[in-house]
Amino acid sequence: MFMSSRAIQILAVVVLLSAGTLLAQEAPLPPGSVNVNLPANSPLGLISTSMSDSRTTARGAALMLDLHMSLTLRNSSQNRIHGVTLRVVSQEVTLGGKGWVTYPSLNVGPGEAFPVRIDMQLMRPSPVMAGTLVQVDLDGVLFQDLSFFGPDRLNSRRTMTASEMEAQRDRDHYKRILAEGGKPGLKREMLESMARQSEVSQLAVTVKRAGRAVTSAAVPGERTAEFAFLQFPDSPVAPLEGWAQLAGNEARAPHINVRNNSTRAVKHVEMGWLVSDQSGRQYMAASVPSGDATLNLPPGNTARLDQEATLSFTSKGQPVNVQKMMGFVNQVEFADGKIWVPNRQNLDNAGLQKVLPASAEELRLTEIYRKRGPDALVQELSKF
Amino acid sequence: MALHAGGDLGLVERLRTERHLAKCDRCRDSVAAFTELREVLPELAEIPEVPWNRLASEMRANIRLGLEAGECVRTGVPGEAAEVSKLRRFAGGRTALAFASVVALVGTGLILEQSSPVAGPLAGTAAAKEGPLVQATENGIQVRVGGSAFRLMNAGAKSVTYSARADGSMGARYLDPETGYVTINNVYVE
Repeated sequence: MFMSSRAIQILAVVVLLSAGTLLAQEAPLPPGSVNVNLPANSPLGLISTSMSDSRTTARGAALMLDLHMSLTLRNSSQNRIHGVTLRVVSQEVTLGGKGWVTYPSLNVGPGEAFPVRIDMQLMRPSPVMAGTLVQVDLDGVLFQDLSFFGPDRLNSRRTMTASEMEAQRDRDHYKRILAEGGKPGLKREMLESMARQSEVSQLAVTVKRAGRAVTSAAVPGERTAEFAFLQFPDSPVAPLEGWAQLAGNEARAPHINVRNNSTRAVKHVEMGWLVSDQSGRQYMAASVPSGDATLNLPPGNTARLDQEATLSFTSKGQPVNVQKMMGFVNQVEFADGKIWVPNRQNLDNAGLQKVLPASAEELRLTEIYRKRGPDALVQELSKF
Repeated sequence: MALHAGGDLGLVERLRTERHLAKCDRCRDSVAAFTELREVLPELAEIPEVPWNRLASEMRANIRLGLEAGECVRTGVPGEAAEVSKLRRFAGGRTALAFASVVALVGTGLILEQSSPVAGPLAGTAAAKEGPLVQATENGIQVRVGGSAFRLMNAGAKSVTYSARADGSMGARYLDPETGYVTINNVYVE
């Protein structure tokens, strides 16, 4: 028995030493592995960069890069900045994948500095590392007057402008509440918003860009399901009909026909996509943007939004089988770059406030209320 | 630490653990290792929920029972007092071995769980055998292609809203606890 225990002790030491060795192969980031590039005429100046705690970790034949980057930027323009998008690319690792980080709902005056953070991980099968692994570029800056600077390779102008429209909508809403009901009214509205935010159910969604390899006919149980639509009276675009392929907890290939009911040409439409499970619980599943980058939808004309992606849905680790689908117009961009988003009345009337997550601005305002109280919120609203 | 990394601790235990982690580098590293393990396993979000607390209680009880049984056996053999004394000095080693075995067991179990297809008629065909996948992970969003992955992390965020797009992109929106700004990470695959 003693010999056996001794053998166990030796084995334990070997196991622990092996585990320690596996975990210990860490190293700081090699110089030149991250490159931050702001154009010379950029309205943003880079004051400082910090990458402390960043490291590479070898795991067998694979390499993990942990990047924790803090940038301090300065607004070197004469306008107030309301949004920034940075593009983050590691072409070698992601084989066509890319990322970007958007900071909406900013309010940075000329000459003011502000911090931003990028936290990312790269995992690659080869431990060999040389040259620039991560490139960070400026994709766009949105100003208070909705003017824009940047290459806009990621359509960040549209994304940030839509976010700014939502921000203006929500600030106006809370200003009106404050004017009509004073601080008690504002407080009541904030508490309601926080309660809504905590009750919204989220799906875990996995997206596969290309359609499945097999044909629909070969997939047992797959069915074509039609969208029901929520109509907003003031929407410039109306959904007409739509469908997607459903099977179990997967949905693929959504197609939606829309008509431009406005008097202006439309160049981008984005639909919200809701799904219901067997119990009737509704979730925001995804959005369906117009796939055609050169969409030109004149007044009175119709177009079809096509996407070929396959989405699978789970909640708390369990598959969510889709029973019903609903769509609504979430965003419209006109040919002149102006953006339409649903107003709060639209969202309230359709019951969407209970299903959709709060806007970035509502999230920011409720956080100010939560952390600093109603006086700070009133002061914040008065800045706009 | 594994329970904490998996978000399976109750409120009180979680707060106590977070307090401890704030001042213990070794345990922080341990949590980070468990977190990475969960992220490396690609379809972790798909597996059925595991009753971690009950599992942990059972494992602790079994280990304690085993150690107590060992003590009973040793004290019952005359003339081995010296050896028993020596063995006691290695009690930490045996406990570590027991825990290492449990960790290996749990890890193997998780990996085996991954191979189970997700319920639903399309599960077998939908598995991403080829091509990039865009998905949320334990604390971020990622594009994954085979053994390579590109992740943007929601560092320290308490509440994250994920949004998928049918064009192959995904966003994660949260309040950055350090800067106080709303931050939206996005990954996209062409």
